[in-house]
Amino acid sequence: MSQHPSFLRFALLAAVPAGLVLAQAPPPQASQSAAAATIAVKGDVSTPLALKAEDLAKMPRETVSVEDQDGTKIEYEGVPLREILKRAGAPLGNQLRGKALASYVLAQAHDGYEVVFALGELDPAFGNEQILVADKRDGKPLFGYQGPFRLVFPHDKAEARSVRMLETLEVVRLLK
Amino acid sequence: MWGTYRTRGLILAVLLPAVLSLKTSGAGPDAAGDYQWNLPKGFPKPYVPADNPMTAAKVELGRYLFYNSRMSANGKASCATCHKQELAFTDGRAVGLGATGELHSRSAMSLVNVAWSATLTWSNPEMKTLEKQALVPMFGDHPVELGLREGDNFLPMLRSDPEYRVLFERAFPGEADPFTIANVTKAIASFERSIVSARSPYDRYHYDRDDNAVSDSAKRGEILFFNQHLHCFRCHGGFNFTDATVSERNPDRQVEFHNTGLYNLPGLLSYPSPNVGIYEYTKSREDIGKFKVPTLRNIALTAPYMHDGSIPTLEGVLNHYAAGGRAIASGPYAGNGRDNPNKDPLIGGFVLSPQDREDLIEFLQSLTDDMTIHDPRFADPWPQKN
Repeated sequence: MSQHPSFLRFALLAAVPAGLVLAQAPPPQASQSAAAATIAVKGDVSTPLALKAEDLAKMPRETVSVEDQDGTKIEYEGVPLREILKRAGAPLGNQLRGKALASYVLAQAHDGYEVVFALGELDPAFGNEQILVADKRDGKPLFGYQGPFRLVFPHDKAEARSVRMLETLEVVRLLK
Repeated sequence: MWGTYRTRGLILAVLLPAVLSLKTSGAGPDAAGDYQWNLPKGFPKPYVPADNPMTAAKVELGRYLFYNSRMSANGKASCATCHKQELAFTDGRAVGLGATGELHSRSAMSLVNVAWSATLTWSNPEMKTLEKQALVPMFGDHPVELGLREGDNFLPMLRSDPEYRVLFERAFPGEADPFTIANVTKAIASFERSIVSARSPYDRYHYDRDDNAVSDSAKRGEILFFNQHLHCFRCHGGFNFTDATVSERNPDRQVEFHNTGLYNLPGLLSYPSPNVGIYEYTKSREDIGKFKVPTLRNIALTAPYMHDGSIPTLEGVLNHYAAGGRAIASGPYAGNGRDNPNKDPLIGGFVLSPQDREDLIEFLQSLTDDMTIHDPRFADPWPQKN
């Protein structure tokens, strides 16, 4: 997984004009605790959700096979993200048109790692990506630094958007 | 390691039957490519050069050669001198020591899981096969490691030895004269590829889902290790905890080398010569101080750390990364490594509580694989002769 927060800090520092004194941000403090056992689905949705493993177990489930960076095949099982967002009332299907197409999902991990992707990427009429909210890997519940929930982008070449320790999915409509 | 020549006759009489009945590690007949890796889940099949398929017989010959001090000019060193099984195939020294007493400029790297290494040695981006690399300690003279010379008595010694005749004929069946340097390096490379570590407590926890395999502290340490603020996993990622991994399915990988801010000397070269990183080969100034990322498997056994062994303990390594580099106040290496212009931007520093440190160390210690360091398949075949 590629995670680049320090690059951003670096870029911001480089952008400061010479002569200006900038107080350097304190070094980051990491968290060693496990991720929450709930995924919060929030933002510009009609029905915010707080999903636990037992909730995901009752929803339509899919399995995807991906290959990690070392060539090992891994099977992830979980719920298609579009199913979760549909239940939260995000604009998908025939609602995903016009201004709604300027909507994105901000996925946040327990350690603060964030990625975004557009709603159009996962809608069947557009990108139709099989993005999965996984809770099992090779048949066993995700745990430790990977779990209990993880986004899986099976067609991404890099793993960087497959957020581990997923805690929040926030829908943002840029144009309302 | 083989004792004096005078005692060898007696020893041969005792050991020859054992050699003749050498088992092939469950790999069946010695046909090309018969080797059974028996890798657990999560470990891809390693890349093996097409001209040197793995066979159990080559692995076994390689083991005999690896531990044979007659592979050195003066009989005082073997591959195992710098790569000791009990230290995860390192030597516990800051820098290697050759057969003639000459010091190497860098620390001996672990050979554990070397089958998956995209490049070999600390800083040679072109050194990609173990067969080629073996020639360096055998024949290199900057520094002298084993000190062999072309045309010396090494190959005739092998050819005249009844044990080696058996081993070579089994490893290279049908060859009119299998006693060649190319075959020696093929066998040593095969043995080195066989040294796999995949059964550490961490593996039992992570792959077998055995919750009792590691402590709660190690579990917390794992979460810290993979935390985006620490970035450890960015370079020490994947099943082998390094970003320099290749496999049979992914044999080509552009390896990244990293400057971790250990030094910042004034002048053209910010790292002390001759350890200037891949700059030695590329001659690009942005490559000064860039070295390969070693595996963290068995890292608790491989002190001292870094390419030059300049950090004695794992705690010291954590301090180095937490500080975002190393400041040296005085002496010939004085300078603030944090300001090295080539330092990887990921080395930005972080804050660790005492508990965090303990947890990270516990996690790193959970990567120690006792089975590897005690596995008789990787051990000296001639311990009684020492």
